[in-house]
Amino acid sequence: MVSLLRNQKVRNALLQVLYVGSLAALVLAGIVIARRNLAEQGITSGFDFLYKSTGWDVNFSLLPATANDPYWWFFLIGIINTLFLGSVGLVLATLVGTIVGLARTSSNELAQLLGRTYVDIFRNIPLILQVFFWYAIITHLPTPRAAHEALGMFLTSRGLYVPFPNVGGIAFAAAILAVIAAIALPIWIGRTSRLSQPFGERLGIQLAAAATALTTAAVILALGRLPDLPLLDFPALQGLNLKGGLRIPPEFSALAIAIAIYGGSYIAEIVRGGFKAVGKGQMEAALSLGLSPWRVFTLVRLPLALRAMLPILANQYVWLMKATTMGIAVGFTDFFMIVALTINHSGQTLEAIGILMAGFLAINLSLAAVFNRINKAIALKGNQLRG
Amino acid sequence: MTANSTKPHRPAVRLENLDKYYGTFHALRKVNLSVERGERIVVCGPSGSGKSTMIRCINRLEQHNGGKITVLGTELNDDVANIEGIRREVGMVFQHFNLFPHMTVMENCMIAPMIVRKRPRAEAEATARQYLQKVRIPEQAMKFPGQLSGGQQQRVAIARALCMRPQVMLFDEPTSALDPEMISEVLDVMVTLASEGMTMICVTHEMGFARRVADRVIFMDGGEIVEEAPPEEFFTASRNERTRQFLSQVLGH
Repeated sequence: MVSLLRNQKVRNALLQVLYVGSLAALVLAGIVIARRNLAEQGITSGFDFLYKSTGWDVNFSLLPATANDPYWWFFLIGIINTLFLGSVGLVLATLVGTIVGLARTSSNELAQLLGRTYVDIFRNIPLILQVFFWYAIITHLPTPRAAHEALGMFLTSRGLYVPFPNVGGIAFAAAILAVIAAIALPIWIGRTSRLSQPFGERLGIQLAAAATALTTAAVILALGRLPDLPLLDFPALQGLNLKGGLRIPPEFSALAIAIAIYGGSYIAEIVRGGFKAVGKGQMEAALSLGLSPWRVFTLVRLPLALRAMLPILANQYVWLMKATTMGIAVGFTDFFMIVALTINHSGQTLEAIGILMAGFLAINLSLAAVFNRINKAIALKGNQLRG
Repeated sequence: MTANSTKPHRPAVRLENLDKYYGTFHALRKVNLSVERGERIVVCGPSGSGKSTMIRCINRLEQHNGGKITVLGTELNDDVANIEGIRREVGMVFQHFNLFPHMTVMENCMIAPMIVRKRPRAEAEATARQYLQKVRIPEQAMKFPGQLSGGQQQRVAIARALCMRPQVMLFDEPTSALDPEMISEVLDVMVTLASEGMTMICVTHEMGFARRVADRVIFMDGGEIVEEAPPEEFFTASRNERTRQFLSQVLGH
């Protein structure tokens, strides 16, 4: 018996049983307690509330929304708002981060100093303060009547008004897909035709694919335009307010700017680290073959740096996606805020939080899955020796 | 940069009073060296003596601070086109191979001819195959550098440099990072190259190689060329005390 307890395999098995057993007990106890408490407060649990109308409204939605719409529709609006804010924020943060990161790795000392100052300032101020800061600035912009126009856009205290195509919803979505294809197709062609085509020929095919996709987008927009209206709807002053076009509310702009600037400072460090990880030897070898500094950058330094950056970048993106929940601080109806409002109005706390967690898990796990795939596809083969 | 040898005496590489500083450290002190076309030079010396610095100055991986470098009749200056022009004609092999790990062996060999020399893909591919054959690893063409042994990687690095059809080859301790059993496969390739009349400047401690192929052996110490002699004289009848001391350490066991 003693010898059995001293057996490594038996011990491991016993530990596993104990671990799983206590976890199951914990979960069971939680469910039992929650059900009793809910019953005492007279709250009916379950997801029936999803089909009831909310009775309240949202201030920003890419989908049509009224107070008569059911909760499930509002959750969908929330998720789309979060995805919209997240994608705009991530793209801008990547742009800012790349520029600042390159400045930090450049040989120009002024650029280095500017980059370092940027990172030191914006990485060390809490995100929520930055959101409030940008929100305060944007809401103190001129009123619509006093706003200046540039390229058909108005920047006002009530938001940014931009021209928007007078196009049906489905056609608009199809056109966006075509634009995405215009970006994705050339990349895909580049990956699949490693050595089968000459560089020049490959570039031609890529350009042709991009042009075709963009033309398709233009045709879809032209065909899907609403009757009797100009193709582009320009915002214009009517009375005290601006009418027409698309209004991007100050809450959204403040959040997108804050995420771009704060996230950019982290991404700048990732970019810098990625470039530092590229061995000096590979660049010297490329130079010694007579390649120009620009070619060395595009053919050797950047591709190798990207491989070093990608895993950390994925982590940062997941983090920034979660940072969109700051929306509640300034009143942007992102997924988190919709859930918070739902809890207030319906009292279905556990269910709403469950939906919130499942939603964010789905978003972030998909993001991570996409990055893992890219990572795997471009990973360096074999053992790497640092020169 | 084309090599029209109308002038009878134009050395492939010529260093005149070459000076190089790293901060206050004087790495090269008035180095003078002339390498004829087809000549094979072996450079040796203790570490920190300036051997690598000297050959890295020839293709501007290091910038010299004084003196003059002439490669194939053209003086190396600060002009970017001039530097890239000289690099096109001067191949280099590094201690740590420095292959591009994200490209296949084939792509490693094709990239410079296609982009720098603007050769069509088919021609670049044929050239790459030819030189991979020459370094005896044609079967590895579609592998990535990380999937090869050190000796194989170094042979790919030699093929990559040769694909540019350079007129001068620089070797910077090409076997120092290799396991002993892989050194000979790399040296064999270098011997073949030497026998075909390639102008070579090799920084190496492989004294057997020096004896076999070198026209001249150069011994450096403290940033200076201390001794310069044909191999048989260098190994048997060196007059210099520092050379003899170095040789006894390299050959002594």
